[in-house]
Amino acid sequence: MEITNLTENLFIYYLHTLIMIEAGTQEKGDALVIIESSKQREIIVESKIMAIYGESIKKTVEEETADFVAKIIVKDYGALDWVLRARLEAAIRKFTGGEEP
Amino acid sequence: MKLRRTRLYVPGNNPHLMENVGLYNADAVILDLEDSVPVTHKFDARILVKYSLQNIDFGKSEKWVRINGITTPYWKKDLREVLPYCEVINLPKVESYEDMEMVDAEMSIIEDENGLERREVVPIIETVRGLVNAREIASHPRVAALAWGGEDLTADLGIPRKKALILDQVRAEIVFAAKANKKQALDTVYSNIRDEQGLFEYAQRARYMGFDGIGVIHPNQIEIVHQAFRPTDDEIEEARKIIEAAKEAERNGKAVISLNGRMIDPPVVERARKILQFAEVE
Repeated sequence: MEITNLTENLFIYYLHTLIMIEAGTQEKGDALVIIESSKQREIIVESKIMAIYGESIKKTVEEETADFVAKIIVKDYGALDWVLRARLEAAIRKFTGGEEP
Repeated sequence: MKLRRTRLYVPGNNPHLMENVGLYNADAVILDLEDSVPVTHKFDARILVKYSLQNIDFGKSEKWVRINGITTPYWKKDLREVLPYCEVINLPKVESYEDMEMVDAEMSIIEDENGLERREVVPIIETVRGLVNAREIASHPRVAALAWGGEDLTADLGIPRKKALILDQVRAEIVFAAKANKKQALDTVYSNIRDEQGLFEYAQRARYMGFDGIGVIHPNQIEIVHQAFRPTDDEIEEARKIIEAAKEAERNGKAVISLNGRMIDPPVVERARKILQFAEVE
């Protein structure tokens, strides 16, 4: 009985650690936001125009996800600021509230 | 009444196609959450459309959103997210007055909660049942105009779209249903984006059938449709004379309007006003 409970708990923990959601697309003018469960906050931004817009993208991600403990990956394909904010909101709501679709 | 000669469909999950919609001068822009968005992207698209309505410059274009139909699990979520920021809800597959009542009730709740002005609805008739009930549907106070969709309707009739012989009767019924209720009638899209002459003739034919506009799927179609809906110089000249005669009669306190010795009925004056509106002249 105890062994079964332990297995279940481990399975639930395993599932929890695997939570990962996506919002957005990899199309031109869009951004793909990926959020993964993590015990620490981590932000990764990938963009072809990192040198010009990297800081501004990071600032928007910081604003929209402040105090949010997870691994947040943003793959930018030339998204305008409002597009990035829309994709971040969608990702966060899916991650926290299970809102789908 | 607002000009609605062109309504440009834009997929609701493609930000790149949304960015410049205000530059195209369509009378309305429809951000689409229905057919152009796969089920797996419905949520993302809903949020994106909410942001685009608040951040994009729509220019002179009216802001419409085509939400998902009432038989889907999405339509209430769509309304809750986008209604505060759009002007018109484009509602697919409406089949009855009761359908309109249901959507009206949901919209009223959201409008009251957010202190919004009352939004308009343009239902799309896409089934035989909807067509049979079109006159009742058009009578709903929320309805600003009546539109129709050919693909679903011909599928419902069980006939191939390109060989369908019944579409002019469908068009006539849409026009009668709308106009009997003093609403606008909107024809469906012309899908060949390379055929400019075909588009012009299609739009002009729609105009002479009594439609107030057609749907467009590419920005290049907009100006051609506006030209097709522009009255001829003779029509404009005649309309100017009628309006002038009506003003003259009003100045002189006359109940009867006459022009060149013949009486002008009020509906003729109304038509003249509409011609000048379509011609975009004072």
